[in-house]
Amino acid sequence: MNIEKSTKAARGTVQCENTNINLLKANDYVAEIIRNEMKKSNTLLINITSSAGSGKTTLMQKTAEKLKDKITLAVMVGDLETERDAERIRESGIQALQIVTGGICHLEAQMIHQVLPEYKLDDIDLLFIENVGNLVCPASFDLGEDYRVTLMASTEGDDKPKKYPRMFLTSDMMLISKCDLLPYLPFSVDAVTKDALEVNHELEVMQISALKDEGIDEWCDWLLEKIKQKQNN
Amino acid sequence: MHETSIVNSIMKTLEQEFEEKKLNTLSAIYVKVGKLSNIEPRLLHNAFTANNYCGTKYHHVKFHVESTEIKIQCLHCDHITQITDYKFMCEKCEKPSKNLIQGEEMLIHKVEFDD
Repeated sequence: MNIEKSTKAARGTVQCENTNINLLKANDYVAEIIRNEMKKSNTLLINITSSAGSGKTTLMQKTAEKLKDKITLAVMVGDLETERDAERIRESGIQALQIVTGGICHLEAQMIHQVLPEYKLDDIDLLFIENVGNLVCPASFDLGEDYRVTLMASTEGDDKPKKYPRMFLTSDMMLISKCDLLPYLPFSVDAVTKDALEVNHELEVMQISALKDEGIDEWCDWLLEKIKQKQNN
Repeated sequence: MHETSIVNSIMKTLEQEFEEKKLNTLSAIYVKVGKLSNIEPRLLHNAFTANNYCGTKYHHVKFHVESTEIKIQCLHCDHITQITDYKFMCEKCEKPSKNLIQGEEMLIHKVEFDD
């Protein structure tokens, strides 16, 4: 590789441009396009975020089972590699497409926009984006969603909201998942709720166990209510 | 990885904002990243340097990263609080607030060109 050496020293007067350009301008622009498309088709868009292995896909399967006779729902799921999650969700009888990021640790609005034509949005009431399992980078990328829901598994430990504050600050709902394991773990629901509300006092909190079907009806009611609100607007 | 895509985004943004002729005289970029932006200034700096190893025309450009503190302004009493322990609450009237006025930004706030 030929690396050119700079012979160009700064000379003369220096021109300054005082500017304020948002580094995520391109992402935010595309997110707005997605938001408009969702508004046109009256589709509720939910961005599901969490650490890896906190139960996002299991929640998607369970939600699909409960709601597929009442509404039309679909999922797009991001992962670094493999089609496994989309296959699991399709087994529940709903449309699911995999976005393979090829190593990128988050989904960007452009990736969502590229797969949107695969969905008949006019017929879809609820579209989930299952983000890459990561509490850091996905927090920075607006995907045009109506609500951001973060799963916080009881197995992760109750100290996460303060460790990853941006994610909890930008979320609308925290679902404490794998709650059937609470009797066996040193995890305090009170402590995690207190920390999360200190970061974001508007955050809603629910407890669920997708495997044991606990709290899932309340979660589905919340979704149906939000769909109704969106369609009435 | 995240930082590399941010560097790409910076260069793409500048290429959209300025004409090529002007960009050929680019000498310095100043960016501001908030403590809540999940960007580590040192890694961003490394990513910029690594990007230029490939011999881009920007290899002589100086890159400055400033990290900014998290601040909220209370909607009840207008008081500005610097957040240190991720407790988003007004230090004066103790009401919770999400009204961020600083700390979330990722901005190119100044660019310099050689005359």
